[in-house]
Amino acid sequence: MRNDLSHLPPATPDEIRAMVARAGVALSEEMMQQFIATWPQFEAMVRRLPRGLDYADEPAHTFRPARLAGDPK
Amino acid sequence: MDIAFLTIAELNRAYERRELSPVEVTRALLDRVAAHDAKLNSFIRVTEDLAMAEAKEAERELMAGTRRGPMHGIPYGLKDIVETAGIPTTGHSKLRQHHVPKADAEIVRRLKDGGGILLGKLATWEFALGGPSWDLPWPPARNPWDRDRLPGGSSSGPGAAVAAGFMPAAIGTDTGGSVRGPAAFCGVAGLKPTYGRVSRRGVFPNTFTMDHCGPMTRSVEDVSLMLQVIAGYDAQDPGSEDCPVPDYRAALDGGVKGMRLGLVEGWHEGAGAHPDLGRAIEAAVAVLERLGATVKPVKLSSLRDYTDCKTTISSVELYSIHEPDLRARPQDFGRILRNRVLPGALIRGEDYLAALRWRTALAKEQAAALKQIDAFITAAARTIADKADPSQPDRHVSTPSITMPFSVSGVPALAIPCGFSRAEGMPLSLQIAAGPMQEPVVLRVAHAYQQATEWHRRHPKLAE
Repeated sequence: MRNDLSHLPPATPDEIRAMVARAGVALSEEMMQQFIATWPQFEAMVRRLPRGLDYADEPAHTFRPARLAGDPK
Repeated sequence: MDIAFLTIAELNRAYERRELSPVEVTRALLDRVAAHDAKLNSFIRVTEDLAMAEAKEAERELMAGTRRGPMHGIPYGLKDIVETAGIPTTGHSKLRQHHVPKADAEIVRRLKDGGGILLGKLATWEFALGGPSWDLPWPPARNPWDRDRLPGGSSSGPGAAVAAGFMPAAIGTDTGGSVRGPAAFCGVAGLKPTYGRVSRRGVFPNTFTMDHCGPMTRSVEDVSLMLQVIAGYDAQDPGSEDCPVPDYRAALDGGVKGMRLGLVEGWHEGAGAHPDLGRAIEAAVAVLERLGATVKPVKLSSLRDYTDCKTTISSVELYSIHEPDLRARPQDFGRILRNRVLPGALIRGEDYLAALRWRTALAKEQAAALKQIDAFITAAARTIADKADPSQPDRHVSTPSITMPFSVSGVPALAIPCGFSRAEGMPLSLQIAAGPMQEPVVLRVAHAYQQATEWHRRHPKLAE
C-alpha cells in the first residue's frame, strides 16, 4: 500500500489566496476565482504522490559537472 | 500527381528524376496554404519570400548535382516556439507577440544546412501548454478532418498543416505528448525521440527535463528521413546525449518477424476511451502478429500515476520559467496557461523531489519490462479529437494521459494512424515505444505496420 498525503484536508480559498500572495503574484479577483477553482485538482495530484520510496530511487536530475565544465579536449 | 500529399521520400525521388522541382513544389504548397488555411489557422506566419528564396537555392544546387541529404528541397514548418533568427517566434502568446530571435535554434540550423525550405511558423497551444485557448492573439488551429474539431495540442499547427497537405513535414515539440497527441488526432505520424537525441537549444522551454523536438510527417519512412537530419549531439544543450546517430532509413527494413511486443494492459480501455479504440488496437495487434511478431500483455503502473508524476514535475519547472512574467503581467497570460503555471508556485520542494524520485522508479519499471520485450504498444490517444468548444472545462490534470508514461521515462515513442472512428470518421492512433536510443526499433515496427496497412494513405478533403 502506498504511503501518500491524500488524507490531508483541502486548502480553503483563504489559504489559497495566502499561498499565492506569498509567491508574490498579484491576481485580479476574476483571475483569483479562476485559480481557486483550479488549484484543488493540482493539490489532489501532489498529495497522491507516493512517499517513502527506496533510497536507491534518487531524483531523476541530470547533473554532470564534467559536462558543465566543457570538453577537456 | 497531387503535390499536396507527396511524402518526403516521393519528393526526393521526383527531384532525382527531375519530374518536379523545389520551386514548383513550394509554390504549389504556398498556394494551397493561401487557399485553405484561413479556415484551419495552422499558420501563425507564412514565410513566403524566404521559402521561395530557399526553394530557388535548393533547385540550383540539385540541378548542379549537389545533394545535401533527405531534406534538401523539402518544405517544412516549425511550431512557433522554435526560434528563427530574424523571424518572430511568439509561442502563440501575447507575452512574446513581438519577439524576434537573434539566432536559430540548433534544430533549425540543421534543417537549413540540410537544404530544407521553411514555409512558416505554426500554431501551438500557448508556450506549448496553455490550450486550447480562445483568449490569445491568434485563434486555435482546427482539425482538417473536421473543422469543428481541434487538432489536439500542443503541436496543433504542425499536426493540422501536415494532415492538410500544406507540407510533408513539420517540427513539433513533445513534453507530455504534444507531438504524439496532435499526430493521433490528425491521422499523421509523430515521433517523440529519446530525451537528448535531438537538441532543445533555442526552443522555448516547457519542462527542462522532459522537452523533446520531433518530426511530424505522413509516413514512418518520412519520420526516419527527417530524424536523420535533426538528430545528434549538441554540446550546448545540457541534456544532449553524445552517442552515434544510426542510419534510420536503413533501420526500417527487416520487418517484425521474431520481434516481441508488449501490449500494455488497461491503458487504451476503460472509462473515457473511445468505443472504437479497442477494436482498432486489436486489429493492429492482429496485423503485427500476422507479420510475425509475438504480442503479449505487459503490466505497467496506471496512467493516473504517470500523469501525476509528470504533471507535478512540469508544474514546478513551468513556474520557474514563467515566474517573472507571472508576477509582472499575469493579465497577459491566456487563462489556461496562467492556471497551469501558477500551481508550480504552491507545490513544495519536497513534493517536487518526491515526483522526481518517483520518476526514477517508473522509468526503472519500464526498463525492467523491456528486458522481456523489444517494444511497447498501446494507443496514442484514448479519444478522438475534441470539439472546438470554448466553454469546455480545462481537463489538464483530471484526465490521465496515455502519452505521458513515455515522457516520464524519456524513451522514444511514435504515434501512427491505425483506423477511424465509425460514427465521426476521425483518426485513431497506435503508439509504439522502445528503450532509450531505440528509435530504429520503433521505426521498424511502425514501418512494417504501414507497409501492411493503408490508414496513413487517407487524407482529409478540404472544403472550399
